[in-house]
Amino acid sequence: MFDYFKTLETLTSDERDIHALVREFVDAEIIPNVQGWWDEGTLPRALISRMGELGLLGSTTPEQYGGAGVSSTAYGLICYELERGDSGVRSSASVQGSLVMYPIYAYGSEAQKQKYLPELASGSLVGCFGLTESDGGSDPAAMRTRAVRDGDGYVLNGSKMWITNSPIADIAVVWAKLETDGVDVIRGFIVPRDAAGFSTPKLTHKMSLRASVTGEIVLEDVRVGADALLPGSGGLKSPLGCLTQARYGIAWGAIGALEAVYTGSLEYTKTRTTFGKPIASRQLVQDKLTWMATQHTLGLLMARQLGLHKDAGTMHYAQVSMAKRNNVRVALQGARLARELHGGNGITTEYPIIRHMLNLETVDTYEGTHDIHTLIVGRDLTGLNALE
Amino acid sequence: MKIMCLIRQVPDAEARVKTANGTVDLQGSSMALDGMDEYGVEQALRMSEGGAGTVAVAVGPQRFEDAIRRTLAMGLERAIHIETDLVLDVVTTSRLLKAIALEEQPDLIFVGGQHADTDSQAMGAALSEALGWNLVTWTTELTLEGQHVTAVHDVDDGKETVELELPCVVTTQQGLNEPRYPTLPNIMKSKKKELLKKSLNDYGISSTMVRVVNQEIQQRARLQHIIDGKDAAAAAEQLIVLLHTEAKVI
Repeated sequence: MFDYFKTLETLTSDERDIHALVREFVDAEIIPNVQGWWDEGTLPRALISRMGELGLLGSTTPEQYGGAGVSSTAYGLICYELERGDSGVRSSASVQGSLVMYPIYAYGSEAQKQKYLPELASGSLVGCFGLTESDGGSDPAAMRTRAVRDGDGYVLNGSKMWITNSPIADIAVVWAKLETDGVDVIRGFIVPRDAAGFSTPKLTHKMSLRASVTGEIVLEDVRVGADALLPGSGGLKSPLGCLTQARYGIAWGAIGALEAVYTGSLEYTKTRTTFGKPIASRQLVQDKLTWMATQHTLGLLMARQLGLHKDAGTMHYAQVSMAKRNNVRVALQGARLARELHGGNGITTEYPIIRHMLNLETVDTYEGTHDIHTLIVGRDLTGLNALE
Repeated sequence: MKIMCLIRQVPDAEARVKTANGTVDLQGSSMALDGMDEYGVEQALRMSEGGAGTVAVAVGPQRFEDAIRRTLAMGLERAIHIETDLVLDVVTTSRLLKAIALEEQPDLIFVGGQHADTDSQAMGAALSEALGWNLVTWTTELTLEGQHVTAVHDVDDGKETVELELPCVVTTQQGLNEPRYPTLPNIMKSKKKELLKKSLNDYGISSTMVRVVNQEIQQRARLQHIIDGKDAAAAAEQLIVLLHTEAKVI
């Protein structure tokens, strides 16, 4: 691994071993195959099961619910390595762990935890997370999806957009407004695939995250039982709590993608010769490589420190916003530089560069856009809210 | 059923080897469990119930511990590490391993078919000789019924099926199985498994019959002559001249 400041030496022995295992797995089973998946626009279902077998899905979940019970730092390292392979593969794993297993673990009943978490951890069930709607992902409080009480259950109506894993999901954690004492409150529901009126049209023509399946969730008079409601959920803070988990993973993951484009560029520029010399001997090329290596180092140090805070229970969501915002943007900028350094080879999928670059365009936008995170950090710094 | 797996740590074949002062710098290189030994570990796990009755045995320096932990994370029950910086010859090692086998009383011992670093294939044979046990080498299939082992192994002109009785020594190679990755929960559990540390003195061994006198890195001289390919016709012409006059191959 490219680790200029020897950051990994500060990890625990378990974390180092987990990191080494996932790196080996990504090198052997993801990197040799992912370009084919990306070109075809698919993610093999079997890969999710494979990640489940190894314990990579929802790995921080306690062992009693089928998880591996690892530290949040270890989870971050898993995201780093998966995204070094491909942002789409990491996205699928992030959704399963942070956006499906986490809300069931954090807001679910004991029965829901027992029923769903072990199968989600093993990858025998795939989940998706329905929060964003087509009118605008940055303002989830304006959602139109509603739940209405019906006997001892609920009826859900609405639609969700840009939902990772939805076309292949067995269950969806759907967020909807439920009128409670005359006030709309956002609540989470576990909706099974076979519920009548539930459908997940696949989004096609994507030019990014192609090794990840994306779709809509359409809810047409979907009736679910009382046991579908996540009892501990209540208000926008519940789905935002999930997003904080996922964004934490992205802060690590993006630096993995940056390693991939940096090391690819280093190798390429040392072997690519023009005017009789490797282009890595040129000052303009070294400037780009140095920038990428420096940003990788800064981003990794930030992710490492964020992980220490998360494991200590002292992490603040604005810190997560800062890390997600910064690390994804520098990875994207690094990928664009790598694209430039690769010349024509930077636009073909024979090399991994353009795939990472296009993937990172999405990562820069989803899970809170760059600008939204700017305003979250700005609000935290100034105490003044620009998001209203 | 008790199974012993002899394992070693070698430079990682997937990583670049670092060199310093004309020799391989093992401190600075990425090291891994020898892939040939890994097949034996996997086979032991498949032939036992959840790793019960399995033990990894390693003879080597302190750094071997990473490879030993890997076998425990894969699922072996416990491990014995005879820690030494001495480079032991195969005959001395076989005497040492015989003593351990007599203590452990395994029914089956797996040994990697060939050392990834030194290319030696002698260990399995030497150990079987020391113990007076049956041996099958280069095994690609293995089945067990009671005390009866049926093994398929490679020979120069094909495959051969042999039958032998326990206890025996089996040397392993690619094709026997597909070794598993450790899982995250097993990595965490492996830290709590027994790793017994022993020394050569515990077995009355104080010297080796071989001494490493010198190591050299094989040099392949390259001319590093790169032809500018912008003008393809001129480059081809130049290449033909070089192949004819310098390389003398055409």
